[in-house]
Amino acid sequence: MDVTQLARYPFLNEARQLVKEEGVRTEEILHDPIYERARSLGRQRVNDAVEQGVVGDYPAASETDALMNIFSYPIARVIVASVSSGYATGRYALSEAKRAYEYLRDEDDGLLVAVAGEFDLDIRDDMAVYFTDYLEHAPTWSDSWKLVNMPLKEGWISLQKRQLARLLQNAIQDAIYHEVRQMEPPSEVRNVFEEEVTRLRTLMEERQMQREADMGEVTVTKLPPCIRQLLAAAQSGVNVPHVGRFALVSFLHAVGMDTDDIVALFGGSPDFSRGKTRYQIEHITGKVSGTEYTPPSCSSITTWGLCPAEKMDSICKRVKHPLGYYRIKSRARRNNG
Amino acid sequence: MDSFLQERFRRYYSSAAVPAPRRFTRREYGFVFFDQAGMTRHVGFKRHDELLELLRERAPAHVYHSSAYYETPDAGTMQEKGWMGADLIFDLDADHLPGAEHMRYEEMLAMVRQELTKLVSFLTEDFGFTDDELSLYFSGGRGYHCHVVHPEVLPLESQERREIVDYITGRGLDLDAMLREKTIARRGKMSQTALEIAPPTAPGWRGKISRDIVAFFQELKDMEQDEAMQLLTSFEGIGEKTARGIIDDVTGERIERIRRGKIDQSTYIKKIMPQLVKRCAVELRGEPDEPVTGDVKRLIRQPGSLHGKTGLRVTPVSLDDIQDFDPLRDAVVFDDEPIQMELQHPVEITMMEQSFTLEKGSAAVPEYLAVLLAGRNVATI
Repeated sequence: MDVTQLARYPFLNEARQLVKEEGVRTEEILHDPIYERARSLGRQRVNDAVEQGVVGDYPAASETDALMNIFSYPIARVIVASVSSGYATGRYALSEAKRAYEYLRDEDDGLLVAVAGEFDLDIRDDMAVYFTDYLEHAPTWSDSWKLVNMPLKEGWISLQKRQLARLLQNAIQDAIYHEVRQMEPPSEVRNVFEEEVTRLRTLMEERQMQREADMGEVTVTKLPPCIRQLLAAAQSGVNVPHVGRFALVSFLHAVGMDTDDIVALFGGSPDFSRGKTRYQIEHITGKVSGTEYTPPSCSSITTWGLCPAEKMDSICKRVKHPLGYYRIKSRARRNNG
Repeated sequence: MDSFLQERFRRYYSSAAVPAPRRFTRREYGFVFFDQAGMTRHVGFKRHDELLELLRERAPAHVYHSSAYYETPDAGTMQEKGWMGADLIFDLDADHLPGAEHMRYEEMLAMVRQELTKLVSFLTEDFGFTDDELSLYFSGGRGYHCHVVHPEVLPLESQERREIVDYITGRGLDLDAMLREKTIARRGKMSQTALEIAPPTAPGWRGKISRDIVAFFQELKDMEQDEAMQLLTSFEGIGEKTARGIIDDVTGERIERIRRGKIDQSTYIKKIMPQLVKRCAVELRGEPDEPVTGDVKRLIRQPGSLHGKTGLRVTPVSLDDIQDFDPLRDAVVFDDEPIQMELQHPVEITMMEQSFTLEKGSAAVPEYLAVLLAGRNVATI
């Protein structure tokens, strides 16, 4: 790949290798004026991602621009890692992955297959993927991506380029998220980017407070551990499986939250689409379908693998339904207040 | 003192060759005992002998092992167990099949057997598992289990396993996508469209539905007029006129065109298509129980053990013998020594290829039937 093309996929091993071969010391990247452009691009990557949910199309026409673009990626990662917020990391990983998707869907098949290989996805000559890889990476909560609607044959699903690019987006997002969460950036990074790190941390805290305020009467502390965990996941950008969304939405609806407030809660989810979220919520709460679903019981929640057994408390042991937990907590609060 | 059932179970376990499941030491085991309420879980074994010894000593009513593999199978909480992966399990149970409540035990089992054949064809044709990756077992009760052992399925999460079940049950299938309205000519604002289905060779559900549609028309063509009329008018919105129109229009030549995906020319045939697609989807779908497959920490019955409510053995069924397998013969482990029983209800059953018609009251029955009746609480000693 030439440098210009590589700048589109700075997460690939080839790009990593290139940065390594330049033989630049961390010291230089953080302080040398030559890399000021890379540092500033790195800041921009993070800010754009966390605040707007996109990583832009930064100039990469000349070789120097492309190089700075590539260098800005590891810088952006250490900045995000220093903010050390699951929510910020989720937004960042999604934005980088979406950017890659936009490029990938126009590339040659060969390049997609090569990128897939780096993420342990085997692609057959007819652009088919094995169904377990498909299940791991496809957004199957959306009807058109459900396995049942795929041309599955002898374990393999033949995909169109756009579909494969979408699977790669997910694989890239997961990889970036986990890598960044595991990083322990040197303290020097925090000194150099103190302004960004502090600003983003404050922003994350504000958003957290905002989310809690949006809950209104429904206070987080009254929620049972399962629902609290789902809520945290939805807000921090972890993909929540559809049964999880169903449990969360039907529960919040049952305790009296209205659609707008629930939509607002999902605003933190990385794949957030206001229209789709609203539709899903209205489907569950009965506005669309006419059937108002009741939230699942403890036994269903357990069957679905959503009961965080290690977080169960004494109230959990007394109830058979998450709503029971909520009622007990509400009563206790009234009595105390 | 042992009850009748427990005493017979103890005799069985004194010499039974209960096999060790794969990765024996990584599994959690669970037991329900005759003389103890509830289930004893979180049991782990280091050696096969230890399991056999427990079976001999305690003669449990029900024996289970986890579909999952754990770092520490006998730890008390899931957190401490350390989940390493799980086999993919399917459960077919008569309880979930429509109409089963009105059937005799043998009829129920025969119906579940049809479902088993269907499940196996999904797993081999669609999912590409080979015969030796599938193990089938009669559950000892009212159904069958299928264990899929394949390295790629081990790490699948609950949600991903449910997608597999949805594929087999056709849940979420986009029926509208099965029929395509294709524009073939356009003049000004007027356009002519043709209705198309996927070629029968297409992969996935689209090909399945098409194959079923072709088969439907083929059968229809070979039917007597009366029979065909009856079948067609059973569809919603199809009256006698349309039905007659369809019968006239289904020629060998048209079936050939349908085989190539073209549902054109006949407005009658076009009219029945949406309903037909829907009916085919219902016919083709499998019925595995969703929660079982979706639960990655489930306990499943130990092959070779006895079911406490029937005394029948959890028995392997070979893929080629599904249709010949008769649980009330092939899963029976007890003898025909006569036992005097007191029946609370009249009983009619075929077991060991012998039919029994028993009145309420006392009767001498073979040991195997005595165990079944005692397990089901229909009779006492």
